[in-house]
Amino acid sequence: MKRIKDRLLPSLAWLFSLLVIWQLVSWYLLEVKETTLAQSKVPYIHEVVHTLFTYGLTLLQEGWSTFINAGAGLLLGTAVGAILAILMSLSTWAEKTVFPYVILSQMIPVLGLAPIIYGIVHDENWSRVIIAAYITFFPVSLNMLKGIRSVSPGSLELMHSYAANRWSIYWKLLLPNGLPGLFNGLKIAAPLAVTAAILVEMMGARHGIGVIMLRNLYYGPSNTYMFWSTVVASALLGIANYLLVQLIERIVTPWQPAFRTKGGDN
Amino acid sequence: MNPAGIEVKNVSMSYQSESSEVLAVKEVSLSIGKGEFVSLLGPSGCGKTTLLRMMADLLTPTNGSIEIAGQSTRQARLSQKYGIVFQNPTLYDWRKVKDNITLPLELKKVPKAERERKALELLELVGLEKFKDKYPWQLSGGMQQRIAIARALAMEPEILLMDEPFSALDEFSRERLNEELLAIWKKTNSTVVFVTHSISESVFLSDRVFVLSPHPGRLSAVVDITLPRPRTKEMRNSPEFYKLITQIRDSFEGS
Ligand SMILES: Nc1ncnc2c1ncn2[C@@H]1O[C@H](COP(=O)(O)OP(=O)(O)OP(=O)(O)O)[C@@H](O)[C@H]1O
Ligand SMILES: [Mg+2]
Repeated sequence: MKRIKDRLLPSLAWLFSLLVIWQLVSWYLLEVKETTLAQSKVPYIHEVVHTLFTYGLTLLQEGWSTFINAGAGLLLGTAVGAILAILMSLSTWAEKTVFPYVILSQMIPVLGLAPIIYGIVHDENWSRVIIAAYITFFPVSLNMLKGIRSVSPGSLELMHSYAANRWSIYWKLLLPNGLPGLFNGLKIAAPLAVTAAILVEMMGARHGIGVIMLRNLYYGPSNTYMFWSTVVASALLGIANYLLVQLIERIVTPWQPAFRTKGGDN
Repeated sequence: MNPAGIEVKNVSMSYQSESSEVLAVKEVSLSIGKGEFVSLLGPSGCGKTTLLRMMADLLTPTNGSIEIAGQSTRQARLSQKYGIVFQNPTLYDWRKVKDNITLPLELKKVPKAERERKALELLELVGLEKFKDKYPWQLSGGMQQRIAIARALAMEPEILLMDEPFSALDEFSRERLNEELLAIWKKTNSTVVFVTHSISESVFLSDRVFVLSPHPGRLSAVVDITLPRPRTKEMRNSPEFYKLITQIRDSFEGS
């Protein structure tokens, strides 16, 4: 209990100071410097929070739509990324064949790709899922490949000494060894998936945080607090997705050095 | 000549790197009988590990050949004749202690109940039954090495290759495990090639000791250990034991 307190206290102190500074800047711009559109630039936090609660239900509903699609995209991206990583790890030949396309895929700007995908699938949900997957497969794939490659020569030799077949070597050594890498990739990918889903929503959809974000941006200064609420809500979605991945990581790979209890046995 | 054992014929091994070449083993010939317990003894860097890895088909000699019961080392490896204990424990982080021991059994598709039973038996043997559900990092270095030994024994291999398995242990556990190892060896009739740099350990355990000397690694003497079996604690203090130790020490100085 005490340890949690010790760890939480500094972060809370930081958060609090940041909020105070923000409020002061907001007040300064609005009341002292009297900047035009001061509240659009640095709004009062209490106003944003108030809006956040007033429209909580709407935000929750739209946010859920975004979250589900981003999550589905992340799953799809993870599957594709993991398969590509395994494929590339099979041989240098396979890597040389696949890797350039993986890199190339990241050169295509998503802003240009999203309308194309929508044009093909004609479904806003599927477009979000596909774009989220498209953005997330890359970090997942590269990090997992690195994880698989990080296997120690000794561990591999042990498998060779048992005359283990390739399937066993993957299943019992290379894949478990690649899991920490996979999760590193996933932690980068989780917030990206949310961003990708919102991006697609802003280009035309009926539901999702991105839709209200865009709407309130159009309506101008009168809706500034609502706009900021959507920004906060999408940040929260990204964080939630990240924490979810972190939780799964702890459950699946409790043996990682980062999770080891300090102070030896028992 | 030696149909059932290990036959090392004029084996040399040099490691190549961009700039230089290290002759780790030079023209070693030796013959180990089936069921024999032999030690490879020598100072650090004399090529013990290299020689053992060549026997295990994890390394290919640059010259010469090694045969196991008339087969190539590759065939012997593929038919899983070896159990090997590396110089490092090489346990898998994501497996609990007991699951590390059962790894070779899983690969051989041994039924789960049988695997569990075997793991418990081996854990008891190495004195770590209380740690079966721990992860390797929760064990000390010496305990990890004992798990690695248990894992090698799990398959009941015909040939047991051990690379300084007890060097991370304290003197007490080491002597106890020496005796345990001999008991296991007697029970299983396996051939044991034991790498060590401890003279007394090699004398206590072996039928014969192959003494290697460094730069380049070569065989400098073969010493028959004439102590009767079974070996007992008391023998460690016998004049004969000391005589053999002196004899081996002299063979080092002679080289
Ligand atoms: N992978 C390698 N590449 C290059 N040189 C190597 C390699 N492995 C070993 N050597 C060299 O070969 C020689 C013999 O090494 P080896 O590991 O067989 O010695 P060892 O007798 O097992 O020593 P120790 O008792 O310290 O384990 C050493 O001089 C070492 O520097
Ligand atoms: Mg060695």
